[in-house]
Amino acid sequence: MSVDIEVYIALSAILFILGAMGVLVRRNAILVFMSVELMLNAANLALVAFSRLWGGAEGHLFVFFVMTVAAAEVAVGLALIVAIFRSKQSIDIDELHQMEG
Amino acid sequence: MFQVPTIADLNLGLTLPALSLALGACILLLLDLFVPRERKEITAWLAMAGIAVSFVLNLAGFNESGTAFLGTFAADQFTGFLNIVILITAFLGVLLSLDYLKRAKIERGEYYVLLLLSAAGMMFMSSANDLIVVFIALELLSIPLYIMATFRAPDLKSEESGMKYFILGAFAGAFFVYGAALVYGATGTTNLPEIFAAVNGIVAAGGSQMFLLLMGTGLILVGLGFKVAVVPFHMWTPDVYEGAPTPVTAFMSVGAKAGGFAGLLRIMVVALPVFVLKDGQTAAAWQQTFWLVAAATLILGNIVAIAQTNVKRMLAYSSIAHAGYIMMAVAAAGTAGVANEATRAALLYLMAYMFTNLGAFGIALAIEKDDGSDTGVDNFIGLAKSKPALAAMMAVFMLSLTGIPLTGGFIGKWFVFKSALDAGLVPLAIIGVLTSVISAFYYVRIIVNMYLKDGEGDPAAGATRYVNWAIYVAFAGTLLMGIFPWIATNLSDTVVLAVEMFVR
Amino acid sequence: MPEVSSALSLSTVVLFIPIVGFLAILVFLREEQHTEQIKWTALGTSLVAFVVSLLLWIGYDASVPGLQMVQRNDWLPSAGISFYVGVDGLSLLLIILTTFIMPLAILSSFRVHVLEERGRQKLYYGFMLLLEFAMLGVFMAQDLFLFYVFWEITLVPMYFLIGIWGAEQRMYAAVKFFLYTMAGSILMLLAILYVGIQAGTFSLPDIVAGIQSGAIAFPMDGVLSSTQSFLFLGFFIAFAIKVPLWPFHSWLPDAHVQAPTAGSVILAGVLLKLGTYGIVRFCLPLFPEASVAWAPYVAVLAIIGIIYGAWVSYAQKDVKKLVAYSSVSHLGFVVLGIFALNAQGIQGGILQMVNHGISTGGLFLLVGMLYERRHTKAMDAFGGIWKAMPLFGGLSLIVVLSSMGLPGLNGFVGEFVILLGSFGSSVLGPLFTLFATLGVILAAVYMLYMFQKVFMGELDKEENKNLPQLHWQELAVLIPIIIAIFWIGLQPRPFFDTMDASVNQVVEQVHPYVVQAENTAMLTVDEFVQTAAVR
Repeated sequence: MSVDIEVYIALSAILFILGAMGVLVRRNAILVFMSVELMLNAANLALVAFSRLWGGAEGHLFVFFVMTVAAAEVAVGLALIVAIFRSKQSIDIDELHQMEG
Repeated sequence: MFQVPTIADLNLGLTLPALSLALGACILLLLDLFVPRERKEITAWLAMAGIAVSFVLNLAGFNESGTAFLGTFAADQFTGFLNIVILITAFLGVLLSLDYLKRAKIERGEYYVLLLLSAAGMMFMSSANDLIVVFIALELLSIPLYIMATFRAPDLKSEESGMKYFILGAFAGAFFVYGAALVYGATGTTNLPEIFAAVNGIVAAGGSQMFLLLMGTGLILVGLGFKVAVVPFHMWTPDVYEGAPTPVTAFMSVGAKAGGFAGLLRIMVVALPVFVLKDGQTAAAWQQTFWLVAAATLILGNIVAIAQTNVKRMLAYSSIAHAGYIMMAVAAAGTAGVANEATRAALLYLMAYMFTNLGAFGIALAIEKDDGSDTGVDNFIGLAKSKPALAAMMAVFMLSLTGIPLTGGFIGKWFVFKSALDAGLVPLAIIGVLTSVISAFYYVRIIVNMYLKDGEGDPAAGATRYVNWAIYVAFAGTLLMGIFPWIATNLSDTVVLAVEMFVR
Repeated sequence: MPEVSSALSLSTVVLFIPIVGFLAILVFLREEQHTEQIKWTALGTSLVAFVVSLLLWIGYDASVPGLQMVQRNDWLPSAGISFYVGVDGLSLLLIILTTFIMPLAILSSFRVHVLEERGRQKLYYGFMLLLEFAMLGVFMAQDLFLFYVFWEITLVPMYFLIGIWGAEQRMYAAVKFFLYTMAGSILMLLAILYVGIQAGTFSLPDIVAGIQSGAIAFPMDGVLSSTQSFLFLGFFIAFAIKVPLWPFHSWLPDAHVQAPTAGSVILAGVLLKLGTYGIVRFCLPLFPEASVAWAPYVAVLAIIGIIYGAWVSYAQKDVKKLVAYSSVSHLGFVVLGIFALNAQGIQGGILQMVNHGISTGGLFLLVGMLYERRHTKAMDAFGGIWKAMPLFGGLSLIVVLSSMGLPGLNGFVGEFVILLGSFGSSVLGPLFTLFATLGVILAAVYMLYMFQKVFMGELDKEENKNLPQLHWQELAVLIPIIIAIFWIGLQPRPFFDTMDASVNQVVEQVHPYVVQAENTAMLTVDEFVQTAAVR
């Protein structure tokens, strides 16, 4: 049983757009952050699907790197969120307006 | 089918400059443990030593070219030139930070490690020959910057700056990955020269692969466009630049741009010159888009900068504007036959911008108070009386950013405009020169404040020894590049990025 | 082609003398302890430059049209850019004018109270010498890149001179000056780049030779929409703003009125000539066809400028403003002469550049001396000054008469030759001459009006009765000007001889297109009247 490549790509595109919408619409820093993860994983799905299409290893390789880097980003991102929460008692990104101009 | 590569296959010799810096950062992290808390300047000196080692290795290998890590890493003069820019940026970044961190009471050894790691990421970017490496380098250069931007925590501005940079940086990174995935889907490879080889067939065939390719190119432009801050992906810049500690702003305003444009040039010129026929000339399909982005960046950056009252914010918008000039060269690189000339122009512009901008930030940093206040344009009033030498150098930096001759900025503009005209982008060149007149408004205002207005003048307490050194280096670089431009052009003249372009 | 050598030439020496003084002041002298030394170093440097530039004139062979005392060194060989300087008949007189005016401007600053008040004398004299360097560079540069470098550099010291030591609204005037002229010259940058890309080199003699031989051609297939026209305009607008030609003149009154005396003297004396010189040096030989096609339109602007400048001068109540507007009128004559596109017109134009530099420079010096004594420039505040300061009055009368073009003085020679040139021109014609003559008459009106208001009449104001007589330094500034006025007025021959061959060369370069234009009857007098009416 095999599913056409188009289906995978369509799904990944939908996930990517959902993620992008999430980043733009959500105000909670954690949720924004999760949306970014969704986008990255949509890309991972596309990479794996293409990798199967071409029969090469590069797509898989790329996915591993994306996952690793995403983990590093998570570490830094959560630390930032914690730091902000400690000083502001809020992680609403709309409240980030110390600077205007 | 898969052969285990030997160490010799990796060609490590070519990667030494970048690799030594990354390794140096790791070693520094360990050594820092043994540096007592009150003597953290030792860590800084060690970091500078690491940068110096990398610099020497880079110069030694400047004329060698080839690929390493099984074709994913390219070392050539393009790399060599950009590495010079990046390493000087890092070096001056450390010099600017030394006393600043002490003054702000945020001195920690990890800062210098992060700075080295970020610089290593920029250097990997300049030699990335594979989309995967571009992505890793992009993240390696960005993630330390997120932390460095927040280094003043719990200062709210600094935290906010880091947070904004982080969210938009991660967002942009996701765009880049998805774009890379689509390009991979279209071509079946992530290696840049191989992508170029595959593109030929795709353009001829058209169809869904062409669609994937164009979508992928667009998404990559979005991803890297965020990094280099071109319109419409620039909105994070002013807040991040204003909130981050000033030496970090100085470092990232130049370094992240150098890295971002390195990736952009490599990908667009080496891998994706998807040629179409335009007005009897063969030009890349993306040229039109880049043209528009460059024009919008020039206009918006320069006009909004006029309204700024904070120097860091003003320099943020000015950095957007300068990204526009470099973008102009990138757009020019889309015309067949002009690609190498335009690449050189972009590199020269980056170098001039590096010296000038670091110097300008250095002086802004000298005026800044310990708590991060007093970065207004008005704080420059009377500086010519209290600190004549600093004021004179600031005036030269401002004139260089405006593009007045005998400064590096003019040389950069000269070559960028020349490449744009050569590529037939006359309207873009006209927009470029007109917006540089607009830019004179806000640059000259600083000079007016320093020289023409009467005031006490800031004592510039931040102009400590190391900061002064950094400013002198930047000043010397700005003038030398303006008066003896061959020093820089001799290096850039050997840059040949798009050798394939002439084959086609 | 001129003989090109990379050895040090006399022109380079003249060019770099001011920089030597500039560096000496910058490095060795300190503001507080060495104020007197700074002054005399600056004066000494500029005098040395003057003397050496006279050697330039003596060594110049007027019978040869091309460049002389040429030096060419590679600057950026890969980009076709070289350090290329030399002098010929077009530039020599203007170089002498520059080195002649500079010592006077510097000497006249010695006793200026604004310098005592605001201090920063080191900066002031440093900028003066830097300005001299840049202006000499503009006149000597034979490479488009080099020319543009010097052209832009002139902005910076002048901006500071106006901005730091100017009158009340100095900041506004300085910024306006900077932005206005930069806006003009930036389009020239693009035109230069385009020409350089097409020609493969930025060396002006090489490009002109290429155009003469047909190796380089800028298409001219319509007055408005051809490449050559755009390039011509790119250069011309930059020059027109500098001149300033009507309607680009609005920066001039502000800059002049706000600038310190020496600044005004240099501005009027030399800086404005960069524009007219640029037209002769670049627009005509590079774009001969476009120059011919645009000549009538430019000449119309020049005529408007002549009459407008004179008219507005008459309406001024401020002496300095009056002199400033008179510059618009006088330089209209120069532009008219140049675009007559014949030998007489251009020679008259160049001589008139020199004359205007001397006379108007002199007028600004006189106004400055009055201002130092009375701290006002309003005409109403004066009256009967002749009685209080007879020597000053007498010298002023000579300069005023020279400025309005009295026969026997320098102004007459230049204006007369220009009028002859425009009368005999095949692109312009008698009607232009007629309107220009009107300008001469108006000049007499406003100049004499000013002289009468300030110097004649009763000495009825108390403050004017005890004005101090001229100081020897002031006399030393004025005497050379008076000598030059009489010399050019009575013995103009050597000046014309100097530029004769070079001007003829330019005329020959343009001539083929003039003949063409005659055959196709570009613009008849009737049509001109209509265009003028529309404007």
